[in-house]
Amino acid sequence: MIWSFDLLILLFMVICAFFVIQVKDLLGAAIVFGVYSFLMCLLWTEMGAVDVAFTEAAVGAGVSTVLFIAAVHRSSRQVKPRKRWRRPNKAVGLIAAGLLGGVLFYASVDFPDWADPSSPASTHLSPYFITEALADTSVPNLVTAVLADYRSFDTLFETAVIFVAGMAVFMILGQKTKESAQVGIDLTGGYEDTIIRVVSRALVPFMQIFALYVVGHGHHSPGGGFQGGVLLGATFVLLAISFDLKMVLGRMSEKKNLLLANTGVLLYSGIGVLSLLLGANFLDYSILHTLLPSTGPVVARSHAILGVEIGVAITVMAIIILIYTNLSSGGTNEKGL
Amino acid sequence: MLLNIVVITLTGLGLFFFLATTVGILRFPDFYTRMHAAGKGDTISSLLILLGLALYNLHHLSLSTALVSIKIMMILVFFFMASPTATHAIIDAGYESQIEPWHNDEEEQA
Amino acid sequence: MVDFFMTVGIVLFLLLFLILHRTVMGPTIIDRIMGANVIGTKTAILLVIIGLIYGRVEMFVDIALAYAMLNFIVTIAVSRYFMHHKNLRPSGYGLIHKEKNE
Repeated sequence: MIWSFDLLILLFMVICAFFVIQVKDLLGAAIVFGVYSFLMCLLWTEMGAVDVAFTEAAVGAGVSTVLFIAAVHRSSRQVKPRKRWRRPNKAVGLIAAGLLGGVLFYASVDFPDWADPSSPASTHLSPYFITEALADTSVPNLVTAVLADYRSFDTLFETAVIFVAGMAVFMILGQKTKESAQVGIDLTGGYEDTIIRVVSRALVPFMQIFALYVVGHGHHSPGGGFQGGVLLGATFVLLAISFDLKMVLGRMSEKKNLLLANTGVLLYSGIGVLSLLLGANFLDYSILHTLLPSTGPVVARSHAILGVEIGVAITVMAIIILIYTNLSSGGTNEKGL
Repeated sequence: MLLNIVVITLTGLGLFFFLATTVGILRFPDFYTRMHAAGKGDTISSLLILLGLALYNLHHLSLSTALVSIKIMMILVFFFMASPTATHAIIDAGYESQIEPWHNDEEEQA
Repeated sequence: MVDFFMTVGIVLFLLLFLILHRTVMGPTIIDRIMGANVIGTKTAILLVIIGLIYGRVEMFVDIALAYAMLNFIVTIAVSRYFMHHKNLRPSGYGLIHKEKNE
């Protein structure tokens, strides 16, 4: 860690955050929020946390900004002017937030010091992971091994949460029939720009191959399921932006999309149930060596981690496409951003 | 040693172009002129710096370092295709929003 | 050589501060989009430089490539927004300190 660099980036971020809160133009706020996410990614890279930086770059700086822009496109760009300061509502909110914050702060006094080398996590867990993860799972990337094997319950429920978020958007916004959600927007549909179309069509296959490489190479380099899935979803979003929403829906219809989202979560929990059926605990991958030919318990864990990451990537891709198509068209899947 | 000189030259040149880009973005009077500075200067400075970094990696010539240099060249090719397209898209957006070009006889705005 | 790259990184970063000035204070929204695009491009390069300083480039090149792709997608999305909504300012709202007359 280089302290001066950290302080510079933090100063930069505080300026961006202050601007995002103060400005009344929501589109400008969305863009500068993207810059804020970029800087967060830089900070984490500089600290050496490369996987987290990758995920932040993909999710926060890429897809999240596009979703904000789609939301601003469907609603309005200016903040509603505020009337007089409403005293009772604000006082109640202030008291509730103060109580909750106070309770949390009181509970955090008991935590061990930050980066304390004698805390329980640093004495029992971290040395074990650092020394034994390669021998246990034969995966050189420590973060992937911890995320997908030792703490696989957390990752399973993260994937389920992403799935539920997509379902929530689908259920709230999705409509079968017509444009009852149409606000007075000048949707000049049918706009085409040859340069952007040609370049997008040329770049998308390589972006998808790179995304698949990120998923598959997560054992040896920063990457894994989440990042690869987000990149795959982002390629579809690029196609929807440069062409038309109907073109993307012709290739990846909503039914196929929902099927893919289900398949990802099913794959992940299916591997866990398969371990149960073979006699071990849920999501205990070492028992799978009885199914796969000529592998030992250690290599079976490596293969199962790959299978699990593929499941995560499929779900994340499908949910990002689902959220984008529903958000940018107001649920009707007619005209997009 | 020769490789070091080449890398320093390329990276220094890239930084010089980026300095020119920054001065252009801050000082030009109009959106269109600023976009000229940003679009062209950004692309060329990125290409030169990335070329320098890709060459620096070849100090110890082996298969893995050659692969990493090829990956950096892939970023370079991507920038070469994507950055001018992004410039075109932004200027189109400005044009469709009817931003007025700067005239010489008007008062210079802030 | 590592010192040289650290100098290059610091100089790049300080120049990014100047572009941040244009991003925050830009009179129109499109200036902010332009500033965000340049900041995104330069951050991808800064990632590779940080990788060189730490001596492990192969980890950081993947991130830089993904980052460059996503920066491109965001810029195209924002420009596409202006193809639909063809006005620059939403009637009188802007940065809170500079209320210009409409």
